[in-house]
Amino acid sequence: MPFSYAILLLHHQSRKLLIKGAEADIFLTDWFGRRAIAKVRTIKPYRHKSLDLEIRRRRTIHEAQMLSAAKSIGIICPHVYFVDPISCEIIMEFILAKNAKEIINPEISSQIGTYAGLLHSKNVIHGDLTTSNFLVEDKLYLLDFGLAFHSDRLEDKAVDIRLIKETFSSIHYPQFEALFSSFLQGYSTIQGNKMVKKLLAKVSSIERRVRYALN
Amino acid sequence: MFCLGIESTAHTFACSVVRYSFSQKGLVGKILSDTREVYVPPSGTGIHPRNASRHHCRAVENVFKHSLSSAKVSMSEIDIIAYSAGPGLGPCLRVGAVVARTLSAYHNKPLVPTNHGIGHVELGIMISGAKDPLVLLVSGGHTAILAFSGQRWRIFGETLDITLGQLFDQFGRSLGLPSPCGHKIEQLGKRAAGNYRFLPYVVKGNDVSFSGLLTSAIRSVNNKNEELSLGEISFSLQETSFAMVTEAVERALSLTSKTEFLVVGGVAANNRLTEMLEKACKRQKCKFYRCPAALAGDNGAQIAWAGILEYVGRGKHVQVEKASVNQSWRINEVDVIRN
Repeated sequence: MPFSYAILLLHHQSRKLLIKGAEADIFLTDWFGRRAIAKVRTIKPYRHKSLDLEIRRRRTIHEAQMLSAAKSIGIICPHVYFVDPISCEIIMEFILAKNAKEIINPEISSQIGTYAGLLHSKNVIHGDLTTSNFLVEDKLYLLDFGLAFHSDRLEDKAVDIRLIKETFSSIHYPQFEALFSSFLQGYSTIQGNKMVKKLLAKVSSIERRVRYALN
Repeated sequence: MFCLGIESTAHTFACSVVRYSFSQKGLVGKILSDTREVYVPPSGTGIHPRNASRHHCRAVENVFKHSLSSAKVSMSEIDIIAYSAGPGLGPCLRVGAVVARTLSAYHNKPLVPTNHGIGHVELGIMISGAKDPLVLLVSGGHTAILAFSGQRWRIFGETLDITLGQLFDQFGRSLGLPSPCGHKIEQLGKRAAGNYRFLPYVVKGNDVSFSGLLTSAIRSVNNKNEELSLGEISFSLQETSFAMVTEAVERALSLTSKTEFLVVGGVAANNRLTEMLEKACKRQKCKFYRCPAALAGDNGAQIAWAGILEYVGRGKHVQVEKASVNQSWRINEVDVIRN
C-alpha cells in the first residue's frame, strides 16, 4: 500500500460530512492534529464512467494548482495540505466563516470585485465566480477553483463578470444595482476604468448571444 | 369557464381548449382538447420561417375546428382567447396572432398575449403538482434553468449560445436527417454499445455552451482518419451534452436549495436526459417531476393555461389593435403573479 493511502485510510475514520455540494462532498477531518477540510469529488452516477473520471480528476488537479496560483497573486484562499488525484480529493485548511451569499452587501461585493480584478490581471479565470464561493470572516476567502484556468482572452474574463452579474440579478435581485456597481468599482481599483469599460462591452456582446436577447 | 389557446411559435400550429375553475387549492385547469399540426421541413434542412408560416395558414381551419369539436365546446362558450406572442419565428407568430385577433374581434372575447416559455413552465407545474420547483426548460428554442422569485421566473443558468434542441437538430441535419432529429440520434446512439469518446465539455458556472461541442461532433463525422462510427459519435454527443445540463442543474439546485425539480420542453421527452436528471435530484435529496412526453413539446394547452393565469391572476388582456408579437421576449422579462 502506497504511503499516501495509509495516511488517507487513517483520516477516513474521523470524517464528518459537512456539506453535500453539487460538485463535491465536504468533510471535516483531522490533518496531523489540525482541523481540516476534505473536498472529495464523488462519483456522479449520471455521467458516463470515463467522462466522469476524467472530469473529476482534471478538476481536482486544476483546483490544487489554481489555488496556489491564486495565492501567489495575493488572493486569500485555503492552504492545500494534500492532493490525491486518484480518489479525486483535496485536503485543505479549515476556515470558520460565513458564506458571502448569506450576508452580501456592497462592501463585500467591492472586495469580490478587487479579487476578480487581481485574478484577471494575472490572466487567471475563476470560472465559477458566484457569491457562494466566497467566505467572509475578518478577511475574504475565495474558494472552489475547480473550473479555473489560465487565459488572457477578454472573452473569458467577461464570462467571469457575466456570471457574477447573473448571480446578483437572480439570487440577490433586490440589491442588484448596488452590488454590481460596487463590484465594478472594486474591479477598477486593480484594472482601471478603461479595462472595465472594455469588459462591460464584451459582457453585453455575450449577453446578446443568449436566447431571445434584444440587440 | 373555458380558454382557447393558440400556439404558433415555430414548427407547430396548435389549438387547445382548457377548462378552468376555482377550488380550495386555487385555480385548477383541465385540458379538454389538444390539436396540433406540425410543419416538417425537407430532410437535412431546418425550419424555413416563411414555409412554416404558410403551413400554419393552411392548418388553421382544421386545427381550430377540431380543437373545439373534440372539446365539445362552441365558440360562444369560450371566455378567454390566449395566443403565443413570443419568443419565436416572426412569420409563424404572426399567423397565430392574426387568428387570435380575428376570433377576439368577431366574437368579442378578451385577448391575452402569453409568453411561450412561461406556458411550458406553468403547464408542467399544473400537471405535475409541484409547488415551488427549480425548472429546466429544454427545447429547440430554450435551454434555461429557472426559479420563481420576486414575481418573475428568474434565470439561474442557461445556454450561452445554441440550445440543446438546436445542438441535436444541427448535428442531425449535417447527417441529412429530417428534423427534429433528437429521437433519431437517440436511436443511432444505441448502436455504440456504450463506447464513449471525449467531446468538449463546457460548463461555465451555472451556464453551458454547446457550439464547440457541435463543431467537434460534426468534425468527427467528417474525419476519415478516425475509426469512429456514427453511433459512437451520436452516443457521445448525447452523453456529453446531457451531463453538462445535469451538472448545471445540480449546481443550481445546491445554489437555490430548492426541494423540487421539474423538467419541461420538447427535449424532456428524451429518457436518457430525464434518467440523468433524476439521479442528480436523488443526490441532492430533491423531488423529481417531469412533464409527460405527450405535453412536453409545443402545444396549445400551455398557451391556454398561461393565458388563464394571466387573465384570472391579474386581469391582464389587450385591445385587439395592440395585440402584437415579440420575437425576442425573454422569460425573465415577464411579471407574473402566482397563487
